[in-house]
Amino acid sequence: MASASVSPDLHQQVLQFYYREARLFSGKQYRQWLEAMVDREIHYWLPIADLRYRADRRPPPEFVPSIYDDNYDDLEERIRRLETGLVWMEDPPSRIRHLTTNVEVYGTDVASEFDSFSNFLVCRNTEDTDETLTIGAREDRLRLRDGNLTLLRRKVILGQRVIKDTNLYFLM
Amino acid sequence: MGNSEILVDATAGVQKRKIFSAEEIYQLELEKVFGRCWLFLTHESEIPKSGDFVTTFMGEDRVLVVRQADRSVKAFLNSCRHRGNQVCRAESGNLRSFICSYHGWTYGIDGSLINVPLEKECYGSPVDKTNLGLAPVAKVENFNGFVFGCLDPEAPSLREYLGEMAWYMETFTSGGRAELLGPPLKSVLHTNWKLPAENFACDGYHVGWTHAAALKVAPAGPLGQLAGNTGINTTEAPGIQIATRHGHGFGCIWNAASSIHRGTALNDYLLSKQPEVAKRLGEWRGKLFMAHWDATIFPNCSFLYATNTFKVWQPKGPGEIEVWTWSMVDKEMSSELKRNVQKEAIRTFGTAGTFESDDAVNFHGCMRTNRGPQTRKGQLTNSMAVGFDKTHPELPGVISELSFIGETAGRNFYRFWDEVMDAANWDEIRAANSHWTEDWLAPETRDTNGNGRNQSDHFEHRQTQVAGK
Repeated sequence: MASASVSPDLHQQVLQFYYREARLFSGKQYRQWLEAMVDREIHYWLPIADLRYRADRRPPPEFVPSIYDDNYDDLEERIRRLETGLVWMEDPPSRIRHLTTNVEVYGTDVASEFDSFSNFLVCRNTEDTDETLTIGAREDRLRLRDGNLTLLRRKVILGQRVIKDTNLYFLM
Repeated sequence: MGNSEILVDATAGVQKRKIFSAEEIYQLELEKVFGRCWLFLTHESEIPKSGDFVTTFMGEDRVLVVRQADRSVKAFLNSCRHRGNQVCRAESGNLRSFICSYHGWTYGIDGSLINVPLEKECYGSPVDKTNLGLAPVAKVENFNGFVFGCLDPEAPSLREYLGEMAWYMETFTSGGRAELLGPPLKSVLHTNWKLPAENFACDGYHVGWTHAAALKVAPAGPLGQLAGNTGINTTEAPGIQIATRHGHGFGCIWNAASSIHRGTALNDYLLSKQPEVAKRLGEWRGKLFMAHWDATIFPNCSFLYATNTFKVWQPKGPGEIEVWTWSMVDKEMSSELKRNVQKEAIRTFGTAGTFESDDAVNFHGCMRTNRGPQTRKGQLTNSMAVGFDKTHPELPGVISELSFIGETAGRNFYRFWDEVMDAANWDEIRAANSHWTEDWLAPETRDTNGNGRNQSDHFEHRQTQVAGK
């Protein structure tokens, strides 16, 4: 996990990485994101947990339910579904805007890998009047290869126990 | 409904639009449907030890479900007897007692009030705790590990309530072999609870069109071929519709088990178990074991057998529900297979599911139109293949063999909804058990006493019934 801070140059590069990602997400250019910014060994994970008392000593369940538990091919299949032109919810298209904030970057035991923490806000507008806000945090492992960053692992953490949007079929 | 308006004509397969949106109908449903029918609470595997608990809803009532010291399961209204505060605010856990966060009143896991703080100092005389336990849910019973509760002490047993549906569900639950992996995913849908319940009971029709995109990228197979609703490419009827007493029902597609899942691991597992199931439960249930089912247990519990998703539609007003989703696995599966099945079930029917995400737009769309005062008048149809519903020499309930795409189980859902909304009590419902299909079935299968009625006769019959009240 996080150890040392990184150089201002690398920090700037990570910020640019996230802003570009937010722009591609907001334009639903998911395939460009996948091909340019995602490592083939990606694990994209959004686990859920139930509300427990602080004193609860029970271990987490053996099989943790995860809204996303995707590898590269799983993500590719989700994107391919959107590209069929048969997703009625997206026709007329929804409008989506991604904001990324609170970015911290740290070095790891592996020279070419970095841990980062960030927060995000997604505003999704569907139909004429429907609007949902999804706010969360991300714990990422980034990989630097030939000067380019890629996303190697992402854990998405949401505060909503009951998801207020009708689905979370968008990337965060 | 107990008033002069006919809301459902299940024989013709029509129901009034207002049953999905009218607040007064919703309030009656909370009393007559959710206050009297058996509702899914939890699975035994979620609360294995004494003191294990989960909190859930029965209609809009918050309930606490607790494993007792004697291994039985009890459920209570989750509300302190002092000021009404929620006594348990966690979703699950293990406790020896439940302490209200307001003044500290303390209840045992059996619901009894065991401590009132400052009782001696401030009440003056001892508090009679015997009548101040948590209000119990009248009945809690389990079917092969699936725990249901019922708030009406006059209701039939769970086994009687499930009736012929239990015969079918033995296929994959017998001996307690099925279990649920929780905690459930939870999300909001802006729709009426009956729309997804009806959809899971019968609606094979929407699969090819609503889910065209998901099917395009899904594995080719019995379901993949449905993409676009352009035709059903098989030489024989691909499946059947089944409806049973008390509003339960399902559609099944033969030889389609696991066809939404990628890979062959689940199918291989089911094939390895199939001969034993066929030997023990007979040829039909052996065949059902390798089918894909979309099913609803009336009123608000649905599942997809062989896609391994299990859902409860928790009502939150006439136009809103929470969708609670568990993954359903077989206890004998390896850990690796359970994990794989859970992943595939959530990937397709979880909160970001490739199929689940398709449904919301339609469930929502069916509701938002009802804001229009002219639009919400009139009726909607459930009449596909009316006239093909029959009894079967070997399968219990009412069957349509025309296709797995049908509305037989949907008609049955609204038929019982209407009956339970109309009935004064369970005795009235019981009294209809012996002839619940008489005004429904196709002419050739009506009983020899000529009890069958055509559709217009049915409407007159119902109007006479209502007028006589």
